[in-house]
Amino acid sequence: MDLDRTTTALLAGLFDPRNAAAWEAFDRRYRPILLGFARNCGLKDDAANEIAQETIVRFVEEYREGKYDRSRGRLGAWLVTIARYRMIDQQRRRGVAKVERGESAMIDLDDEQSVSAAYEAERRRAVLREALEELATKTKTDPKTIRAFEMLVYHGLSPAQVAEDLGMSTHDVYLAKSRIAAKLREIVERLEAEFEESPGDWGAGGRPSARLDA
Amino acid sequence: MNERDEPIRDDEMSTRGGDVTRSGTDAAGCGRFSMDLLELAALAKREREIEIDPQLELHLVTCKFCARAVDQFDRNNTFLHGAFLEEIASVAAARPANTDPNHRDSGGKDTEDFDGPIRGYRLGPELHRGGQGAVYQAEQIATRRACAVKMLLGGRFAGEKQRFRFEREVEVVAHLRHPGIVTLYESGLTRSGEPWFAMELVEGARFDEFVRSHEQSPRQLVELFRKVAEAVAYAHRRGVIHRDLKPGNVLVDREGVPRILDFGLARIAEPSREGGEAAATEASGGATMAGEFLGTFAYAAPEQLAGDPAGIDSRCDLYALGVMLYECLCGRRPFEGARSIAELVVQKTMSDPPRPRTIFTSVDADLEVIALRLLAADPARRYDTADALVEDLTRFLDGRPILARDDSFAYVVRKNLRRHWIPATAAGALFITIIVASVSLFLAYQNAERERIRSERTLASFQKALGSANPETGAGSSSMGIDDFLALVEQQVSTELVDEPYQLAGVLRTLGLIHLGFDDAARARSAIEEAHRVQADGFERGEVSAAQFAETEFALARVQFNLQEFALAEATYRRALALREKALGREDVDTVETMRHLASALRAQQRLDESQAMLEDAIRRSAAFPDTNAANVIRVGLLHGRATLLAAREDVVAAVAQYEQALNALLEIVPRDDWRVGRTRYNLARVQMCTGDLKRAFENARESEKILHEKKGVDATMTRESASLLAAIRAMAAQSGVAIEESASLDAGEASPALNADGG
Repeated sequence: MDLDRTTTALLAGLFDPRNAAAWEAFDRRYRPILLGFARNCGLKDDAANEIAQETIVRFVEEYREGKYDRSRGRLGAWLVTIARYRMIDQQRRRGVAKVERGESAMIDLDDEQSVSAAYEAERRRAVLREALEELATKTKTDPKTIRAFEMLVYHGLSPAQVAEDLGMSTHDVYLAKSRIAAKLREIVERLEAEFEESPGDWGAGGRPSARLDA
Repeated sequence: MNERDEPIRDDEMSTRGGDVTRSGTDAAGCGRFSMDLLELAALAKREREIEIDPQLELHLVTCKFCARAVDQFDRNNTFLHGAFLEEIASVAAARPANTDPNHRDSGGKDTEDFDGPIRGYRLGPELHRGGQGAVYQAEQIATRRACAVKMLLGGRFAGEKQRFRFEREVEVVAHLRHPGIVTLYESGLTRSGEPWFAMELVEGARFDEFVRSHEQSPRQLVELFRKVAEAVAYAHRRGVIHRDLKPGNVLVDREGVPRILDFGLARIAEPSREGGEAAATEASGGATMAGEFLGTFAYAAPEQLAGDPAGIDSRCDLYALGVMLYECLCGRRPFEGARSIAELVVQKTMSDPPRPRTIFTSVDADLEVIALRLLAADPARRYDTADALVEDLTRFLDGRPILARDDSFAYVVRKNLRRHWIPATAAGALFITIIVASVSLFLAYQNAERERIRSERTLASFQKALGSANPETGAGSSSMGIDDFLALVEQQVSTELVDEPYQLAGVLRTLGLIHLGFDDAARARSAIEEAHRVQADGFERGEVSAAQFAETEFALARVQFNLQEFALAEATYRRALALREKALGREDVDTVETMRHLASALRAQQRLDESQAMLEDAIRRSAAFPDTNAANVIRVGLLHGRATLLAAREDVVAAVAQYEQALNALLEIVPRDDWRVGRTRYNLARVQMCTGDLKRAFENARESEKILHEKKGVDATMTRESASLLAAIRAMAAQSGVAIEESASLDAGEASPALNADGG
């Protein structure tokens, strides 16, 4: 595991107001999640941007003031709490009717479980996105193998078709699928550990990674 | 096949050193076939289209090294069909364009579906839009197959648990295969979590429109209606209730065959409602929707309208069929003129519909009885099952008197006994004994008074099933197949216990374990998963005890283990263990037995240290066992597990000693020809072969084969394994010139010297 990339390491950096790198890294990791999360909750782009911005600023303020106690809950839960109040506040300011339905249906902000689920879904997506990125850029995997995987899994093409398109044997297409899937799973597991967001990680006695800050 | 144009570079992928193929290097094959081919052979277990060289297939039967390598590859592939790839695909679909333009070179044509809402499908024109969602004509891109895609709106499946449940429910429905049911091909969740379903595209007319536009004799009408009832009966036998039957969900195709749509989907869509806006809001709400809802609710049974999910069972579908039949007979619905749901509920529960013969005097009296019975407000007064309805419709068509509530079992027997005849000999008798014993065990869990009354019903329904199948009393047949017999039992108890889902689940679990005993893991899985589904609900509600639910978890884990889904089995065993520790105590025989199984699941995942720790803990706890036969058998099982673990560590010398110790202990408590003795001798022979002791290996393998052949049947996996081991030892002996005495047979005196070696 890349220890500098753990959330623990990021948080440690945030204590120092002059540590621009920590700030940036934190922002890079959590802004897209918060943005997607706000959209999941039914917000339009500009409103979602506003929420992401306000949440990050507020979090860092509260963190530096020592209001955030890691032993009391996960970082994600803390962020969700801030974002949820921001959204309720925003709704009030903009006078959004709560019962609005249809394409961009708001999720019920009073329902904490749905709100948390929306955040968790987005966080998981961020991990998966990063994993895909890493697979494409940081591993020396043959682009053709990746392409075969994409055609099979993303586009639902048959192995025979993929084999024909790429000039491979169908057997190699199957091997590509299983090996890329395994590689991705490996990356995802590592990234999840770096994020330390699995339930229990932030409480007492979590996985070894959580003990770093003890 | 071995010629490759190097598309995969293992060294650079580095997966060999990573999680997925590490096991491949641990267990190298014998070298005759490449590791790639062994990896492919493992994949072929999950991807049916992969064709494997017959030579390799044959080789895998005899070569333990290669077979082990394949097993290890396979264990690491469990996620291939799981939600993980779905997750990856949905994220990839939402991702901005691929960063590397080269990736797009040959695939430009599918960019459009890349951004579409459903991966792998191209959506066409909208066919229908209703309160629940929209149906589109669509094409499955990979197969060019035309289909219909239904998207349920307004319901999100955001959490892992919800998604899991969704997948499980869908799996049940996707297994329905009946000419009268529109087949569900595939399903999934859109990026925002709304469920979609791809199904067979059927062109046809709505049931009511077909009836209206085609001049039908009453006879033709009943024939058509019977086909609908048959399809419903089929699904009910598999535990799937429609819950939203109505003429709009039945299409009559060009051949005049009615096809039911959306079977089971109403239930699948439920969890979304729990999470979001409740259905009740919609029902009581908007006036604009009232017309449509009243239309749908006309077919809903009163207990459905009452909104009590616990009160709903398969008989709500019978009510809907009643409304449809009534409409066919009278040209109108049984209750008309209601202007609100509340009014409709009052009508349906408080009053009887006008008798059809008061509307049209020409309506046949029997058909009137059938329709009114289906429309009874009290579910108990309706037909018990859709099968019973089909039977009455058949009787009507044959000109015989209808039975109304006579669910004659002899009829079912005659109708079902078609395939796989086996003589009702000792094997049959044994079989019945197994079932009775299993039922008694099951009943032992029922202790509370309320439960006792239910248990008596369970037992009575079993006795009825067994009695009916008994050739001597004449209702059954002098010979019957195992599958048929189990199907009969299942059908009978499903009928008898239709309103006792937990009891039914307990019986299904037992039946599942019997299937497992007969090596039919697929059937075992479907029965036990159904039982698990029902009991999990019950357990959550506090209506099923922890001990009972643990029993089902344990059974489920055994099936998973049997299907080589070891990680899944591990998780399930752990749940069973936690429940049993709490309910039965840490040193209970069942608790310890669960630990032994859990240790096996760990061992199968090559987590040998964890497996050993678990096993040793179990052995420590077993010290507190009472001195009963059952407890002693489990004690021996623990010794056996220890030996198998040593074998997995390739410490064959120690494994031989440990197996011998287990065998000696076993012989003290079970007969010499018990199947467990056979299994232990088989394992012993395997390790003896590895130590080069071909003579003893041969003797044990031969004895094992003899016992297993007799006790488990020639087709059982265990028997086949011991037979091929015996052949392998013979071949090895011939090759190395070792004389093994073919004629000698193991008797007590001969076995002891070898077995008295210190067990360590």
